[in-house]
Amino acid sequence: MHLKRKYLLSWFIVTIMIVIAIKPTNGQNASDLKFNEILVINDSSNIDDFGMHSSWIEIFNSAHNTVDIGGCYLTDDLSNPTKYWIPAGDPITKIPSQCYILFWADNKPTRGIKHLNFELKGANVIALFDASGKNMIDKLEITTPQKADVSFGVINNETREWGFLDHITPASNNDYSKKASAGEEFVKMDPTGIGMAITSMAFVFFSLVILFIAFKFLGRMSSKSLKKNQKTESIEAKVVANAEELSGEVNAAIAMSLFLYYNELHDHENTVLTIQKVSRNYSPWSSKIYTLRKNPR
Amino acid sequence: MAEFFSFIGENISQFIHFTAFANFTVGHLIMICFGLLFIYLAIAKEFEPMLLVPIGFGILIGNIAFAPGFEIGIYEEGSVLNYLYFGVRYGVYPPLIFLGIGAMTDFSALISNPKLMLVGAAAQLGIFGAYCLALALGFTPNEAGAIGIIGGADGPTAIFLTSKLSPDLLGAIAISAYSYMAMVPVIQPPIMRLLTSKKERTIRMKPPRVVSKKEKIIFAIAGMIFTTSIVPSAIPLLGMLFFGNLLKESGVTRRLADTAKGPMIDIVTILIGLTVGASTQATTFLTWKSVGIFFLGALSFAIATFGGVIFVKIFNLFLKEGNKINPLIGNAGVSAVPHSARVSQVVGLEYDRTNHLLMHAMGPNVAGVIGSAVAAGILLSFLS
Repeated sequence: MHLKRKYLLSWFIVTIMIVIAIKPTNGQNASDLKFNEILVINDSSNIDDFGMHSSWIEIFNSAHNTVDIGGCYLTDDLSNPTKYWIPAGDPITKIPSQCYILFWADNKPTRGIKHLNFELKGANVIALFDASGKNMIDKLEITTPQKADVSFGVINNETREWGFLDHITPASNNDYSKKASAGEEFVKMDPTGIGMAITSMAFVFFSLVILFIAFKFLGRMSSKSLKKNQKTESIEAKVVANAEELSGEVNAAIAMSLFLYYNELHDHENTVLTIQKVSRNYSPWSSKIYTLRKNPR
Repeated sequence: MAEFFSFIGENISQFIHFTAFANFTVGHLIMICFGLLFIYLAIAKEFEPMLLVPIGFGILIGNIAFAPGFEIGIYEEGSVLNYLYFGVRYGVYPPLIFLGIGAMTDFSALISNPKLMLVGAAAQLGIFGAYCLALALGFTPNEAGAIGIIGGADGPTAIFLTSKLSPDLLGAIAISAYSYMAMVPVIQPPIMRLLTSKKERTIRMKPPRVVSKKEKIIFAIAGMIFTTSIVPSAIPLLGMLFFGNLLKESGVTRRLADTAKGPMIDIVTILIGLTVGASTQATTFLTWKSVGIFFLGALSFAIATFGGVIFVKIFNLFLKEGNKINPLIGNAGVSAVPHSARVSQVVGLEYDRTNHLLMHAMGPNVAGVIGSAVAAGILLSFLS
């Protein structure tokens, strides 16, 4: 029975681990990278580090930790997902949390790792693949005809809706309007704070009520099992008491132990050191003077 | 020779310019007096000495005036104090303290009488009452949230939340929270007496039942899962609290539990106390905001006590005779462990020399620790 329980428990743990492994996780890694803005026709907007007006692609790290895009692939052709390999191991490919990286789509890969081997003019799609080159992280279909010097990007960070932006915002948030903090938003709706007080108190109560209910039942179950155990123990004790008649040997053993116990008793407590004076007659064999080593002459 | 003396004179003048005496202001003097008062209260009156001695001495350290730019002050990058202050600024120390608190807390009183958890929840009214008052006084929402948490009467929680919501107020809020925790025996009894009748104060509660080891282990695990699932932002505090408790109750990790509740919590308490004290530099601390925070802090403690006691009185209306709760343990819902529970005991004994409320009061007291961490998590989710 015990073995069977262990066996079942092992199966349960293994099943949970498999379920966790299969379930797509929200890990904070390359899968958190998203296309955020592109500028296809760059006639007179921003320039790259070589002073050229080139198309660019902006990628956003939506994770709450730094993600390294190095090792991933960018392409404008889904049949060739490994078209541009972003070199790994370079510090500039590390994108801090909630930050951006800009790639120049100028078909001049010799100008640095941020310069891609394809251009955006004429591209219908761009995609980002992970380091295996098999799993697509993000894809952007460029179906809308593009305008010169007008970037196309995410206009709503929550819904991730795309559209033409009023201004280009390379390597920065597309929405630069002043935003109220969560606290300010809350106070706008609840200036006195009473709503917050009631809601929060309800949550605090809810959390502790759940614990209360759980432990009320657990307590009842525990009391029942305790009573049951006590009952069983008392019945067993009665049975043992009735079954055992004291034999002569047992009586002898008890008498012996009592005798030994009383024999051990004395006027001083055990383990208490008692110093008593012992008088001894003189003997040269026990003399300190004779037994000490003499200094060499 | 004259040139040499002129050179020496210049150096001495520069040295004098760098001494504290040359940079001293009235503000520094006031803060040093505060520091000395804290040390006096801790040593002579034994008010929370473990906290007030490091904080008081920290105030002295933080208010020795110095010429800036030499990586000395707590706010100067690269200074030793700044490194130690890292744990406060980024909320590292409070969860470690919670680990120790978990390892030294016995939840038996709460498990044996789970309805006392609700008293711990009711006393969190102080947090949200102070939040409303702070908004009314013109504090920003984040500042109001940080001020409100003083009412939770839990120093580590207050530091944790303030470091996230309003780091500028950290010194004032931490000092206020710890000062009022030390003053619980002064603040609470008048409110408790005011709100209860003589008959209520002598209510005898059923002795708590024996709680098995299995129940304690389940409490540590289930408590963590339930509470943090509702308020994930409280994971750092509640996760560590229940983890520490599991170390204690499992019985197989005695060495870890001993370290958590012994040397580790002592080290962190020293660091947190000293750096929080040192963060109260007169230049940043002595403002009208700090005065407002102290005023609201006192009110939040009073509201929390009111909430706990009144809740017990209302709750008693629904309980059968013999199951009633003595409202004098309502104050213990604020999580100043174990001071507020001790207040319940002392006030209870004044009216019945044989009615010991300490064990019963420990229930809402530890529930208050959980409740204030949950409240902090809620404020963090709403305001950050």
